[in-house]
Amino acid sequence: MANLETFSYDNKVVRNFAYATIIFGVIGMLVGITAALQLVYPSLNFGLAETSFGRIRPLHTNAVIFAFVGNGIFTGVYYSLQRLLKTRMYSDVLSSIHFWGWQIIILAAAITLPLGMTSSHEYAELIWPIDIAIAIVWIVFGINMFGTLIKRREQHIYVAIWFYIATWITVTVLHIFNNIQIPVSMSYAVNAFAGVQDALVQWWYGHNAVAFFLTTPYLGLMYYFLPKAANRPVYSYKLSIIHFWSLIFLYIWAGPHHLLYTSLPDWAQSLGTVFSIMLIAPSWGGMLNGLLTLRGVWDKVRTDPILKFFVIAVTAYGMATLEGPLLSVKSLNAITHYTDWTVAHVHIGALGWNGMLTFGMLYWLLPRIYGTKLYSVKLANTHFWIGTLGILFYAIPLYWAGWTQSLMWKQFTPDGLLQYGNFLETVTQILPMYLIRAIGGTIYFIGVIVMIYNLYKTVQSGHLIANQEASAPALEKYIPEKNEHWHRWIERKPIQMLFWSAIVILIGGIIEIIPMMMIDENVPKIASVKPYTPLELEGRDIYIREGCVNCHSQMIRPFRSETERYGEYSKSGEFIYDRPFLWGSKRTGPDLHRIGGKYPDSWHYNHMLDPTSMSPGSIMPPYPWLLEDDLNTSYTPAKIRILQSLGTPYPDGYAEKAVEDLKNQAKKIASNLAKDKIKQDNLENKEIIAVIAYLQRLGTDIKVK
Amino acid sequence: MMKKLSFTIMLYIGTLIWGADAFGQGSSQQDLSSTILTFIYNNIFVLLSLAVLVGVVSIALKLIWAFIDMQKVKLADQIGAISVEPSSGRGESTSFLRRLYDKAWNMAPVSKEENIDLGHEYDGIRELDNSLPPWWLWMFYGTIIFAGAYIWYYNVSNNGPNQLQEYEIAMEVAELQKTKSLSIQGNKVDENTVTALTDEASITEGKDLYITNCAACHGQLGEGTVGPNFTDKYWIHGGSVNDIFKTIKYGVPDKGMVSWKDLLGSSAIQKVSSYILTLQGTNPPNQKEKQGELYEPKVVEPEAAPKTDEASPKAEEGTKTETDAPKSK
Repeated sequence: MANLETFSYDNKVVRNFAYATIIFGVIGMLVGITAALQLVYPSLNFGLAETSFGRIRPLHTNAVIFAFVGNGIFTGVYYSLQRLLKTRMYSDVLSSIHFWGWQIIILAAAITLPLGMTSSHEYAELIWPIDIAIAIVWIVFGINMFGTLIKRREQHIYVAIWFYIATWITVTVLHIFNNIQIPVSMSYAVNAFAGVQDALVQWWYGHNAVAFFLTTPYLGLMYYFLPKAANRPVYSYKLSIIHFWSLIFLYIWAGPHHLLYTSLPDWAQSLGTVFSIMLIAPSWGGMLNGLLTLRGVWDKVRTDPILKFFVIAVTAYGMATLEGPLLSVKSLNAITHYTDWTVAHVHIGALGWNGMLTFGMLYWLLPRIYGTKLYSVKLANTHFWIGTLGILFYAIPLYWAGWTQSLMWKQFTPDGLLQYGNFLETVTQILPMYLIRAIGGTIYFIGVIVMIYNLYKTVQSGHLIANQEASAPALEKYIPEKNEHWHRWIERKPIQMLFWSAIVILIGGIIEIIPMMMIDENVPKIASVKPYTPLELEGRDIYIREGCVNCHSQMIRPFRSETERYGEYSKSGEFIYDRPFLWGSKRTGPDLHRIGGKYPDSWHYNHMLDPTSMSPGSIMPPYPWLLEDDLNTSYTPAKIRILQSLGTPYPDGYAEKAVEDLKNQAKKIASNLAKDKIKQDNLENKEIIAVIAYLQRLGTDIKVK
Repeated sequence: MMKKLSFTIMLYIGTLIWGADAFGQGSSQQDLSSTILTFIYNNIFVLLSLAVLVGVVSIALKLIWAFIDMQKVKLADQIGAISVEPSSGRGESTSFLRRLYDKAWNMAPVSKEENIDLGHEYDGIRELDNSLPPWWLWMFYGTIIFAGAYIWYYNVSNNGPNQLQEYEIAMEVAELQKTKSLSIQGNKVDENTVTALTDEASITEGKDLYITNCAACHGQLGEGTVGPNFTDKYWIHGGSVNDIFKTIKYGVPDKGMVSWKDLLGSSAIQKVSSYILTLQGTNPPNQKEKQGELYEPKVVEPEAAPKTDEASPKAEEGTKTETDAPKSK
């Protein structure tokens, strides 16, 4: 210990990220509560396009995942990384760019999503310029992290950092591949993949966004903050190794479980199922290592609210990661998919695992960087109980709602007819559950307010130790111990760790995605399926802009209860011109894949103006602006050209003719509406016409029966 | 309805345990070759539940023992005794369950932790060298075996039905059930045999069905909105009960009228048709203009038609058998 070096930890960036976590947590949850209430009281969008459910639901999910949890990750990583490596962050400038860059991205998201600028891929809705900004900031974070790793004063890297490394590399890969698009304008781009392939790539991303943004970095945080708070050694080093590598290897394969019973080929679905089942043990490895680390200090758990938060978080993690694999078993998936069960499931993870762990971490870390004590342990305990109650009030009604609605969808009379032929009946049945869920969310939010007060008082009583002095011996040449564990080798080599993590996470993706892209048999072509007309294409883009996909699926599964209700089940060949795919993941309203030709044009016109006029009791919000706004056709030729370059068989030179064709089709629909006494100035130029054209086309390319 | 719902829930919990893939398709049992794999798959929930149960119970036991330990420490503190190491003494217990439990976890006692301290230290965090919990490891092996068997069964040997075969099976089973149910009820009304019902119960039921399914396009009072007016004497597709029944049953897809035969069934269509006839001449506000041709009923007063007296009890019988049907299954 001769050459002890002194240095300082950067606490300012930790503080900044912590504040951002709290602020965006509040915003994300408030938007969530609003969206939840809109399902019961649709008028709560105040008639504005910007606040309609289809646009603020992605705002909620993005705010919670990338703003709240994202900033939470960075708070914890910047705090723990420096201390685990006994060094300051590699570059204060990069830390600062990372912090401000991330907040600007969030701000950009908060502006563009309500404006309807969306690429519609779930949890990747942001438009391409923001996608590029995310990539840049993420790489800045990576450079800063690896720079810190390189100048470390600790020979071996701790398990928490393994998780940070795996997170970094996997999110990079996922983000890039899921956002390959060809820009048309600043806010619009055409997706590189179509239909089934796009669905597979999206859910490979979507599932692993959960895995590598909400799970692995938080496991890393757990491995640092839980033993620190409990002052106990980690239960099992072996378990850390086995569950880390198996978790990151297996997780990447499980994406197709979001597409069970869809037109994804059976082999890919089976892979999704079995890899999900195999994930139970690796996930539980994390839970067990966390809970067993508390061995011997359970008496402390009774009094220390921070440990309580961690116990609930880790338990919620264990429950959600058991539930997930079970929901990936086809027979259970057949019931729960498209229902509120899924929503309940993800909120066990979000509110329980991410939320509670974040709160525990903030209570632990903020007093420390302010050189003070937590203002009130009692209030923190109160927050704990309010939060736990909030989770229960949130999740239980939604489990009930999901189960009830699904059984109603599937119920037949003895005569072989659907018992609840009208979809709306199954919605109104669960509205009380929706209300209780909104109350549960509000309870959870009140807990957060209590925390903010407590933390405010805490911070007031201290001063930020912006640069915290520390000392450690310089790193010397390492002579490996005899009989050391084989894994110690890689723990000394962060770049090898990065390399092997990358290999491990790439295998699953490659094996699933490449055959889907290369082998035509996976998507049998159907001769009668033709590209969308320019008007339908524009209507489809409005459908995307309004976020219709958030409530309406376009994927009829081969179930008797679905083919009776909606028509022939969906075939993969029907989606080859769908860029992006719009299968959806939740049916708050009915499936729309075979809506084409089911109702007259005037029905759609009236329904968009006021859904309750055509379906009394409907909770769909009205879309009057579609009747007022003129359709923008200035990008139509460019869209056609790009689609042609991607292989959509429009005739040569069609781009120049497209707008003319569009106008002709619009006139036909307008005159059709006029027959039903719907007259409006300049009607054929309105957006509603394009939407009607798209809806009437849906699912009509194949004729069955 | 709640009663019906709870019945279905019971039914589904039943199928959940006994027939796994019957699930997606409503409910039915399948005659698949009774291989061991079929058994495993059909009972996957029992097996998985057992595995989960073992896990959950062991965690619960773990927690309970932890709490007991806590109490021991606390009591010892209170009575002023030197606190005893909580887990000592338990090891000597020889009960079978206790030994099984210890084996399943294979944990080093907290008191002997220093023996398995690996000497790693990161910002004060140390690591122990406890072995992987054996039950956890066996669960992991179990899921890997399950994965191999699953892929082999469904995608390599193709013994298990794929989703389209599942669908076909479900449709066949449904067809059988339907025929059985219909044969119990006897012949059903169709567009040729249908008569207008006049009993209050049927009309009220018809009205309910109308409000739920038809009012969106034809108006709450039948005044017509997107669809035509029912209260005047002009009909596009004919105004007799047979014509109305037929229009509802098959729909007029070109004009946006949906076919309701798969959604309502003949007895419900009969009731709706009968209700629509009662709207004649009610003269509600905001009527849509007349469309189609004038239709005058042959019998001046449809309510007084002698046939209907025979029709209603028949229909009532029909509904009775309908409700009895599930019991006789």
